[in-house]
Amino acid sequence: MVFPHASLRLCLTRIGFGLTCSALSLGVALAQTDGASEGQRAAAEAAAALAGGEADEPVILKTPAVDTRRVYVQDPAHFAAVTQQFIIDGSTGRVIGMTDGGFLAHPLAAEDGSFFAQVSSVWSRIARGDRTDYVEVFDPETLLPTADIELPEDARFLIGTYQWMNALTPDNKKVLFYQFSPAPAVGVVDLEAKQFERMLDVPDCYQIFPASPTVFYMNCRDGSLARVDFANGETSVTNTQVFHAEEELLINHPAYSLRSGRLVWPTYTGKIYQMDLTEEAAGFREPFEALTEAERADNWRPGGWQQTAYHRQSDRIYLLVDQRDQWRHKTASRFVLVINAETGERINKIALGQEIDSINVSQDAEPLLYALSAGTQTLHIYDADSGEELRSVNQLGRGPQIIMTHDMGS
Amino acid sequence: MNSGISRRSVLTGLGLAVIGASRVFAQDRISVLHEKPVPASDVPADAITVEIDKMKYQTPEVTIEAGDTVYWINREVMPHNVAFKEGIVAEGAFRGEMLTKDQAYAITFTEAGSFDYFCTPHPFMRGKVIVG
Ligand SMILES: [Cu+2]
Repeated sequence: MVFPHASLRLCLTRIGFGLTCSALSLGVALAQTDGASEGQRAAAEAAAALAGGEADEPVILKTPAVDTRRVYVQDPAHFAAVTQQFIIDGSTGRVIGMTDGGFLAHPLAAEDGSFFAQVSSVWSRIARGDRTDYVEVFDPETLLPTADIELPEDARFLIGTYQWMNALTPDNKKVLFYQFSPAPAVGVVDLEAKQFERMLDVPDCYQIFPASPTVFYMNCRDGSLARVDFANGETSVTNTQVFHAEEELLINHPAYSLRSGRLVWPTYTGKIYQMDLTEEAAGFREPFEALTEAERADNWRPGGWQQTAYHRQSDRIYLLVDQRDQWRHKTASRFVLVINAETGERINKIALGQEIDSINVSQDAEPLLYALSAGTQTLHIYDADSGEELRSVNQLGRGPQIIMTHDMGS
Repeated sequence: MNSGISRRSVLTGLGLAVIGASRVFAQDRISVLHEKPVPASDVPADAITVEIDKMKYQTPEVTIEAGDTVYWINREVMPHNVAFKEGIVAEGAFRGEMLTKDQAYAITFTEAGSFDYFCTPHPFMRGKVIVG
């Protein structure tokens, strides 16, 4: 290991203390809610405590209990060697904690809220020297690491963070991470034994969508999905039918529900492929166009980073769109389409009023729509039903791009 | 890692230059005549060649004798190379230089065996040299 265990502890404890302070002050400075701001409320509380003769006893805080409206914002910081993740209460728009990560750290959240984790990389001299790839697991309320598991040398694929390039199995017992070079492979990390297990050889396929504790799917260059079964120390791979043509470009940011197995995968033009992934097989739904013919003729296209969200309970798809040139697919968008995933019917077209790069939704019955701007480092929070902006949180690093939630709802 | 190999190759290259030997550097099971790519026009007419085009090694499997040299010739502008994972042609990994259009790279295989290779930036490009 790069860090001796004791000094890692010490370092994190100190960071933990610092975080408490910065989390508080960020909350004070940033939340913009109706009526009194967080800052005004905290000031009134502090004044009352002072008037009442209450002494200040500095302590390390815990976060509020995990709920479906907790949202994690990962900031890859435009490829900086060290990164941050902001933990935000979506209901109030307060930063409630932070975690530090290395280069292009990939965040993961257990759907039941029992922990969150990251796959990360550090070097002995900041951006050079000996490289260490590792998986770090965090207690969701103290934010202290509960596991630090080293991966084989240079095992991680270093890439702009795609939400599903790494994944947790649905039983939360394994982390699966992708290796690109020298050959496609998926690494298995055992979170119970707290150790790296093995690399699985896979075909020329990308991204990881777990459907059971030992089965996951990948999207392959040949236009099919691969089903990979790694039960009992073996690896068996089978391919589905080819489901899209070579000129139909699937974006890097599909939405996937680990809880229901639904995979929602738009193309550059907004054609939506959907699959229902189970341990046994991938069921393909009839694809549909998210944009009307008239809109497509008028240059409406999806665009941004995390462009797709799926709300499991209501079976709704959210897609970031705007008018753009064909090859400006990574620029921000100002609109979100809300679509019935079953029928393909449009439910709403929300004008965000902001240049937004990434979206996601909370998985509760009255979901929030999270819309993140890497350009202004601000998370805008909307009522997903009405499309009304409720609050925002700013100063989220340098280029925040990934929004992650816990699907804890029934 | 590669750095060790290229450092050794430079040193060997210097040493050999002094005594006028032809090989630039040798791995355990291969040797390389020119570390840098050469023009395709320099490839001998009777050479064993693998053309690279349309994101593929056009002859994915070649069978040769120990001591034979295989020339890879890139026919498209997309850069490609020839690379071996750890333990295939040497203890460490081996990564040939990138070839642009109409450049060639030669490897002499000195031992019998089956040697899987791939293109570094395109891991889905794979081939094999069988040395009888
Ligand atoms: Cu190549």
